[in-house]
Amino acid sequence: MTSLTLSRSSPSRWSSGLRGLLLQRLFQAGLVAWMVGTLTFVLTRTLPGDMAYRIAAGRYGHDMVDSAAAESVRAELALDQPALGAYFGWLWDLLQLDLGRSLVSGEPVIHELWHQLGHSLGLAVMAVLLSLLLGPPLGLLAGRKPAGALDRVSEVAASVLRALPPFAVGLLLILLFSVALGWLPAAGHGRFAHSVLPSLTLALALAAVSSRVARNAMAEVSQSAYYAFSHTKGLGSRLSFLRHGMRNAALPVVAYLGVQFVYLIEGVVVVETLFAWPGIGHALVHAIVARDVPMIQGTALVMGLMFVALNTAVDLICHWLDPRRRET
Amino acid sequence: MMQATLIAPLRRLAWPALSTRQRVGALLLALLLAFAWLVPLWHDADPARQQLVRILELPTLAAPLGTDHLGRDMLARTAAALRLSLGMALLSVVTAAVPGILFGVIAGWRGGWLDRILGSVADACLALPGLLLVLLLVAIAPGNFWALYVGISLVLWIEYFRVVRARTRVLVASPQLEASRLLGFGPLYLFRRHLWPELAPQVLTLAAFGAASAILAMAALGFVSVGLRPPTAELGLMMIELLPYYHEAPWAMAQPILALFVLVFSLNLLAGKDPR
Amino acid sequence: MSHPLLQVSDLTIHGDGVTIAPFSLSLASGQRLTLLGETGSGKSLIAQAIMGTLPQGLTPAGELGIDGTSYAAADVAARRTLWGRRLALLPQEPWHALDPTMRAAAQITESHRHVAGLPRAEAHQATRRDLAELGLEDAGGKLPGELSGGMAQRVAFAAASAGGAPIVIADEPTKGLDAPRRDAVVELLARTPQAGGALLTITHDIDVARRLGGEVVILRHGQVVERGPAERILEAPQTEYGRRLLDAEPSRWPAPPALASAPDATPVVAARGLAKSRGGRQLFSGLDVSVLPGEIVGVVGPSGCGKSTLGDMLLGLASHDAGEIQHAPGHRLGLQKLYQDPPAAFSSHWRLSRLLDDLVQRHRLERAAIAPLMERLGLDERLLARRPGEISGGELQRFAILRVLLLEPRLLFADEPTSRLDPITQQQTLSLLVELARERHCGVMLVSHDPALIARLCDRQLALGEATNVNGPAASARPLETASA
Repeated sequence: MTSLTLSRSSPSRWSSGLRGLLLQRLFQAGLVAWMVGTLTFVLTRTLPGDMAYRIAAGRYGHDMVDSAAAESVRAELALDQPALGAYFGWLWDLLQLDLGRSLVSGEPVIHELWHQLGHSLGLAVMAVLLSLLLGPPLGLLAGRKPAGALDRVSEVAASVLRALPPFAVGLLLILLFSVALGWLPAAGHGRFAHSVLPSLTLALALAAVSSRVARNAMAEVSQSAYYAFSHTKGLGSRLSFLRHGMRNAALPVVAYLGVQFVYLIEGVVVVETLFAWPGIGHALVHAIVARDVPMIQGTALVMGLMFVALNTAVDLICHWLDPRRRET
Repeated sequence: MMQATLIAPLRRLAWPALSTRQRVGALLLALLLAFAWLVPLWHDADPARQQLVRILELPTLAAPLGTDHLGRDMLARTAAALRLSLGMALLSVVTAAVPGILFGVIAGWRGGWLDRILGSVADACLALPGLLLVLLLVAIAPGNFWALYVGISLVLWIEYFRVVRARTRVLVASPQLEASRLLGFGPLYLFRRHLWPELAPQVLTLAAFGAASAILAMAALGFVSVGLRPPTAELGLMMIELLPYYHEAPWAMAQPILALFVLVFSLNLLAGKDPR
Repeated sequence: MSHPLLQVSDLTIHGDGVTIAPFSLSLASGQRLTLLGETGSGKSLIAQAIMGTLPQGLTPAGELGIDGTSYAAADVAARRTLWGRRLALLPQEPWHALDPTMRAAAQITESHRHVAGLPRAEAHQATRRDLAELGLEDAGGKLPGELSGGMAQRVAFAAASAGGAPIVIADEPTKGLDAPRRDAVVELLARTPQAGGALLTITHDIDVARRLGGEVVILRHGQVVERGPAERILEAPQTEYGRRLLDAEPSRWPAPPALASAPDATPVVAARGLAKSRGGRQLFSGLDVSVLPGEIVGVVGPSGCGKSTLGDMLLGLASHDAGEIQHAPGHRLGLQKLYQDPPAAFSSHWRLSRLLDDLVQRHRLERAAIAPLMERLGLDERLLARRPGEISGGELQRFAILRVLLLEPRLLFADEPTSRLDPITQQQTLSLLVELARERHCGVMLVSHDPALIARLCDRQLALGEATNVNGPAASARPLETASA
């Protein structure tokens, strides 16, 4: 596991019911908005003094900057107001989804986010699907015969992949498929071929973990008394696997997806930057470099909310898979 | 090794027994540590000194691992970058583990409102994916080592807290603790004999994973140019700097990747377990 | 009935330090056979060898005749096709044998549908019939985690026998069940031979063997010690081991030494008008309890009736809703407890000597008192070098008694201290406990599921929760297993 946190938000504390679950996620979304808003507000207050000039210069060109232009930037960031009032004004704007305009391009942040979100979501969904195609099936097969050849080989492969950060995996893939073999484009966006390497980069890292989770889950299920009983009551290997093995082994895999999304969000930032993929992560990094505060706020907010939304999806799937969660 | 500092004041506590895999990891990590800190002793090249007449040189006696695109000594730079990464890892792991374990034991033992408050704080810290939180903090103080450190520690402590709290809660209600309590033993004894032996292996696993996470986070930020600033020798930064020269000097670009890989690999081995 | 349904000839099992001597049996329609033995006697291995589910590393040899067809014992694959159809296995722990994420009815239906081959609608109908017949009308929609132990056993029985297998093997079917539920399971098992099948039961419980009747085989260390009709073997065994095994039955235990203290002595604990409710349910109210020095008071009642809770209240570990508890004056370590699962009461990481030293140091105890007491308890000095997981359950429980007695307790709450032990070990452990308690004037409250045991050992008995419904879900609801991080 190479992501910055290992845990998933456990739904156990408030309620096991669906309502409580969704309420909890909604609360989390609110928390995300508040944290992003607060941190970016602090950011506006720590900008160096001539920042307004520099931003104005960036936007209107060096020759056009005058104190009026700088003043308008200052007003945009509410730098001319006392801190507390400005803070509540800042949160109020956020609450109304008024994210302001990019200090660099002058476009409304919402517009830019809209395009980028599509690209990022496309990449994320493709990566998750690809990883689910690669990881869990391999893990289930390996888990049916622990310590077998497949188990050993996939364990080594997973250990190596887990020790390589996504940007290193991406680099190696570029060197192999773009530079050495020339099969796929290294960077850019537009054709399907462009999306193969970035999503594969993310998918490999995700699959490295999910294959081991699936393997452990399957190994546990195949040693369980109920799996043995389903055999001895006469269901046979195939039916036992389909009716009792799969669902029980899938539960930890799906639940672990929640943890993996932390990794996915992090991966999106570096992988988009590496492959010049015009998504949210790329935009966030650019905004941080350019100190484009409204864009930082917008991109961080969208990524945070995307994380919450993906986790909600995982909750719903778990809820559907595991009848124990539906009982009170 | 982060274990050593972690429990040095608690020397009388049990030491988790290591599996073969963990021993290999510990050995590999020890070798890396030795490399990172011994290199400056016999190879006195300044990792920041540019020599533009000797750029991208192949390994020579003077520069055993070659030079980079600015003629800087790669051996010195790789060793410096490893020291930086390990230092950051050690610092953030210790910073995260101590309050994490402490609060975890308290929350799990006491329960009640204290538990609920601490739990809510932890949940709040987890609302944002870790790297995003670190990115926002880094945006406030660009290129600052301490912003990075605070952000990473802020994310890492939660894991200790949660694991320790969950385990403590189970153990406090267990017959073994109740029996010892009836036999007249105090909280310190209960911690030493009952809690710590159960927690130690998990804390070691978390520490190793946490160290790997911290190292990767710092490298990722360096790689996308929002982490530490040049000319610092940092693994992610070195990778992105050397990327344009992969054709002329593949050995140079391979070094930070390899160093990062071995470092994280050894930590993952030391952690001992697969992810759940 | 000409040919036997199940015939086993010269079955042996080898490997992993296990040797089962050649074993044979023959069961015709309507017959029953019970394998009786302690832990490690190899009785479960014989069942597994017949089924073909031996763990890896163990190889069976010999001949099996099932329903007239003969199989080599080593040919496991060939018998798999018989599972559920000719051979049914009733699993050890039904809670764990049922898929935790599938509802009870579905687990029975799938047997009807996929093993018996009924069409969907008929399979559902058959399931409803099964459930009604077993008194489980309301249980069909429940998950295994919501079933009581007895209900889960019946669901597992229905799921295992839906395929109509004439040969039923029941492996420790009463493990962990209390007396009324145990009898219900025995009745359930008896249906198979009544319906013309053959029943092979594995158990350590002499009472179960007696109730089932038929042929009984006593096993020890993989050898048949004695075999014959239940009436003869279980009344007048011929071998020394057989006699010892039977003598370990509570009803045959020698009477404990008489209570020496006067009935008007100050009780070590006296409680009046105790009430406690848990989860919105009244466990008991208006309960009066008192224990005299050296007195053994039995506590009985169905699972979940609050026996352990009562103990915790008297020991000061749990609060009570109403009433008052008075302890005899004395030091605060005078209240001690013995646990059901001995390993759970110890930290597995330390040697016993270390744990003993801790106790001696903590309370400045006399070291000289240890050796004689250890000898009394039959504990070898060398055991101290081991860790709790490395000695037997009986030894560990006796070590727990040692640890507790060193503190000279006034009241000892023994919460089913021997329910996980083999009968002979149980008898040794309990008679020692009673003897020592009498000597040291320590009042004991002994919880047990076994009425015969209580009747034999205790001076008085306290029955809890008569009013509670034995099969009620609250009486034995097991908490869901929650995944921990």
